[in-house]
Amino acid sequence: MLFHIDDLPVYFPYDRIYPEQYAYMCSLKQTLDAQGHGVLEMPSGTGKTVSLLSLIVSYQQHYPEKRKLIYCSRTVPEIEKALAELKRLVEYRKSCGLNETILGLGLTSRRNLCLHPSVSKEKKGKVVDARCHNLTAPWIREAEQAGQDIETCSFYEELERGDVRELVPDAIYTLDDIKELGKVKKTCPYYMARRLLSHANVIIYSYHYMLDPKIADLISKELSKDSIVVFDEAHNIDNVCIDSLSLDIMRPTLEASSKSIAQLSERIETMKQQGSEKLKNEYEKLVQGLQDTLAARDEESIMANPALPDDLLHEAVPGNIRKAEHFVAFLKRFNEYLKTRLRVLNVTAETPSSFLRHLKEITFIERKPLQFCSERLSLLTRTLELNNLDDLSSLQRVAALATLVATYDKGFMLVLEPYESENATVPNPILRFACLDAAIAIKPVFERFSSVIITSGTLSPLDMYPKILDFKATVQESYPMTLTRNCFLPMVITRGSDQVAISSKFEVRNDPAVVRNFGNILIEFGKIVPDGIVAFFPSYLYMESIIAMWHEMGILTEAWKTKLIFVETPDSAETSIALDNYRRACENGRGAILLAVARGKVSEGIDFDHHYGRAVVMFGIPYQYTESRILKARLEFLRDEHRVRENDFLTFDALRHAAQCLGRVLRGKTDYGLMVFADRRYARQDKRSKLPKWINQYITDTSVNLSTDMGIAIAKKFLRSMAQPLETQAQMGVSLWTLDDVLARQKAQKEKLERVGGVHQQLQQQYGAAEAQRMMQARASGDVYMEVD
Amino acid sequence: MATNGRRQMVEDDEDIIDVDDSSLMNNQANYAWEEEYKRSWDVLQEDEHGSLAGVVNSLQQAAKRKRLLRDTDPIQRGIIRHLFIIIDLSKAMQEKDLRPSRLSLTFTYLEAFIAEFFDQNPISQIGLVGTKDGLAEKLTELSGNPTEHIRALKLKKFQETGGEPSLQNALEMARSSLVHVPAHGSREILVIMGSLTTTDPGNIHDTITQLTQDNIRASVIALAAEVQVLKVLTTQTKGTFGVAMNEGHYRDLLFEVIPPTAVTTTKTASNLVQMGFPSRSNDTAATLCACHGKLTLGGYICPRCNAKLCDIPTECDICTLTLVSSPLLARSYHHLFPVENFVEVAWKDASTTTQCFSCQKMFLSPHKISLQLQATTEAGSQPRRKAGSALNPGAGSSGSLTRR
Repeated sequence: MLFHIDDLPVYFPYDRIYPEQYAYMCSLKQTLDAQGHGVLEMPSGTGKTVSLLSLIVSYQQHYPEKRKLIYCSRTVPEIEKALAELKRLVEYRKSCGLNETILGLGLTSRRNLCLHPSVSKEKKGKVVDARCHNLTAPWIREAEQAGQDIETCSFYEELERGDVRELVPDAIYTLDDIKELGKVKKTCPYYMARRLLSHANVIIYSYHYMLDPKIADLISKELSKDSIVVFDEAHNIDNVCIDSLSLDIMRPTLEASSKSIAQLSERIETMKQQGSEKLKNEYEKLVQGLQDTLAARDEESIMANPALPDDLLHEAVPGNIRKAEHFVAFLKRFNEYLKTRLRVLNVTAETPSSFLRHLKEITFIERKPLQFCSERLSLLTRTLELNNLDDLSSLQRVAALATLVATYDKGFMLVLEPYESENATVPNPILRFACLDAAIAIKPVFERFSSVIITSGTLSPLDMYPKILDFKATVQESYPMTLTRNCFLPMVITRGSDQVAISSKFEVRNDPAVVRNFGNILIEFGKIVPDGIVAFFPSYLYMESIIAMWHEMGILTEAWKTKLIFVETPDSAETSIALDNYRRACENGRGAILLAVARGKVSEGIDFDHHYGRAVVMFGIPYQYTESRILKARLEFLRDEHRVRENDFLTFDALRHAAQCLGRVLRGKTDYGLMVFADRRYARQDKRSKLPKWINQYITDTSVNLSTDMGIAIAKKFLRSMAQPLETQAQMGVSLWTLDDVLARQKAQKEKLERVGGVHQQLQQQYGAAEAQRMMQARASGDVYMEVD
Repeated sequence: MATNGRRQMVEDDEDIIDVDDSSLMNNQANYAWEEEYKRSWDVLQEDEHGSLAGVVNSLQQAAKRKRLLRDTDPIQRGIIRHLFIIIDLSKAMQEKDLRPSRLSLTFTYLEAFIAEFFDQNPISQIGLVGTKDGLAEKLTELSGNPTEHIRALKLKKFQETGGEPSLQNALEMARSSLVHVPAHGSREILVIMGSLTTTDPGNIHDTITQLTQDNIRASVIALAAEVQVLKVLTTQTKGTFGVAMNEGHYRDLLFEVIPPTAVTTTKTASNLVQMGFPSRSNDTAATLCACHGKLTLGGYICPRCNAKLCDIPTECDICTLTLVSSPLLARSYHHLFPVENFVEVAWKDASTTTQCFSCQKMFLSPHKISLQLQATTEAGSQPRRKAGSALNPGAGSSGSLTRR
């Protein structure tokens, strides 16, 4: 389908389009035209990805700037889906007779792409990375070329020999395609993809390549400034930002890092004996290296690394860590200091500056050398030509902590917790260096790229994201879902059949009456809902206690009569087995219930479309653990810095997770499902208003305050009516548009504009410009109705 | 309500919530128990958007109209049918969401169904299978005698429910009987399922592939909701799937099975079927019949082996010849050469005819209808403008129905 939005020809690879897709593309174009950032919410299963890609690729190819598209998604399957969609789109554009060269590719970790016969067998990503490094590091290759008998990677060598642009013709490469190409050409797909990034028109990869400072530095620094950056499934983006700058240090970490320090000094010793040429050079390199970074930053070709602020680069590396042995000693002191801190058996929370003051008192370590710590360490490892980098990971963490703690005063917090959980008796101290401000990690992205689009199925309330990520959005829009039949039924169950109010509130959550009523919801829905039911709990702890109570009450035995029951556990292998069997039970008609946790793996990446989830039940509101010190600190920070009230943020966070869970049930317009909110607090306006618009519009007044039996009666009827055959003919023109519908819509809009324009002119003739303007505004707002003849 | 200080910031104005109840009291149509009794409300009910009920209703109407406007092209249909009806006898059938209960309604409808089925498909055969407690039980063997099936349906012991159904066992049982029927007859299974689960000994998907291989068509009427495995069963075996909305819809779905379906496979080569047309015996004395071994007056004499049988259509118990009478065959033929559809004609084009050609009933002229409507609106306390405009044939294009 080819249609125009303003002057832009949009090629859409399907014959039919949903109305909301059209609206979405219009807003997207607005955002790109304005070179601004956008927050767009569109329901899951309405073809968000394809709308995004087809508009942006059309935009890119139509205008001479050819702005690069960087599409960031969350998981590998999602990346693969987007790549497949892109491939289809480009094929469609070709079939329309467009003669253009588009290079599009995806990037993922070495573990997924490696072709090396033995390295690719490794299961762990870190091990693959380290082994790859051992085969491809420059000094290893030099040594091999010098004739030493050292193993190198033939795929990498092959890549080094040729020019990557000549090797790879312009096309769209999915992850499998690029691997296949690597096999044919006998080159390394991972490095091939990485080197192609700067040439590609469309890049699809994971958030982390953009947000995590350590990786972003390697991967994303060469991307041009006018690129269009899209974060899909971005409802959790603030947590990703925070996690990328947060660190946990435990005793084993410190043990390992002291071991590494010992290794380093040993290595320095041997190197000295062999000839200290390299160590001397390093001294020069050190200053040189930082100046290079500085130069690049001025030209804005490198994305700013949040760990290294501008002013730092202007300063020289302090003298006391310039020499390798001095630096190692320095690290050792810092490490020992951390060890003593971990011995403390009471909980402490402090700001970076108080931490630094204490550090200075005890060890006389100044702030400045600390700032350079991680940069200096990476330089040292290069100089020492160290292999097996994964052994050094602990030390790198410690160095990263040193840098971060010395760099940022605001937005960070150090929390020392001597016990793992509240009732643990054996101390297992953990030092958490928590980032409180999501804006820090994402700031370089917003500053560098002119258009950043944040989109997901659940982003409500929309004004929260610009606040917590600290940016200005030119377009903020949420699209409802147009449906010919109401294919999902959200309902709020506030009390059990015995009229006892249900809630996961702290005071009543373990009340037997409440737990029994939760159980009854499960039993009753188990009786009437076919195939799969997914039930979400606010936390693992609460789920465990409830399941134990249900077991005693005999509720589980009752539920077993109609469905099998599976439970999600923190262990991902166990969970995937449970999921597998859950799916099997849904397929062969046995029916099953999956008990899962709102912030767990199941709630995030796994779809329960069609019969895999005919109903989702959300037991309670998935608030975060409010006693957590880090959360408290973050709330305080948000209140002080971004003027977000604690309560608002907590509710927002809880409801986006709830919406995310409940959104799992609906993946497309032919699908249908029940969404049950089982907590009386959902009935309140302040909670409901934070749900996405597309869910909210279908919560009717009658379904907002139900008891279990009333809910069951409504659900029964819903399931029956949804099972009636759906004819596509009925959808046409309403929730599915052909090209004619799009054109008709555009025409109508144009006419409306002209009409408004005409009225304006008329008014102008009659009353003069200023008055006419005022009248038009009044008309638009509906205050005054004025007849013009 | 005592609020705990620690959680206060999350839920401080919690207590307001129960106020909402009062508004709900007024909106009485939504209580479960009322819904159970006032069925007529279903038809009139509109929600805020007027979409759900309206759309489903219109879908049903469209389906009905589709039934009226049948495809009248003569196509090949299998009029010699072999149908197994699998009846769910599990606990779920005790549910009373269909009045008086799923089970008794099913049995009532099935009696009517069997009579109607043999009326329209006289040379076909039916068998009944029930499933409960994870087992399948054959209620009647495949036979062409309606009274036998109806008698079985009335037996108390077959109406007991219990446990959960086993779809696989029931399908396997039906399949084992159906594989032996000659290739010229169709093989069909109709599943009436009240339960949402099935307990099976093995992989049901193997059974489904087996059914497709054996060319058996399975249709399902579910009484509760859409169950994936049933849907898969019907799509793979090219049957139909329906979920009963209410009693009337259930009946419609059931009776849709009665007209024979088109033969889709080209595999069935057009071979000749041997049939006997027996003559009625006019003996004045009672003789032993071959089918029951009882002394009876009258009966039919098999033209091949001269055995006496009580009733036709049947298979001769002695020589296994299919015995039918020509009127029965002719009755089955009306499926093959259906009557043409009626064509809607506007009033002005139909002014010459004043009465139905076949039954001589007078048509109401538009003038008369409007007069009648006036009378009713005046008599009634409330003016029914809506109904009037819908019925007035002068306003719309609807008019009398005439044969093309």
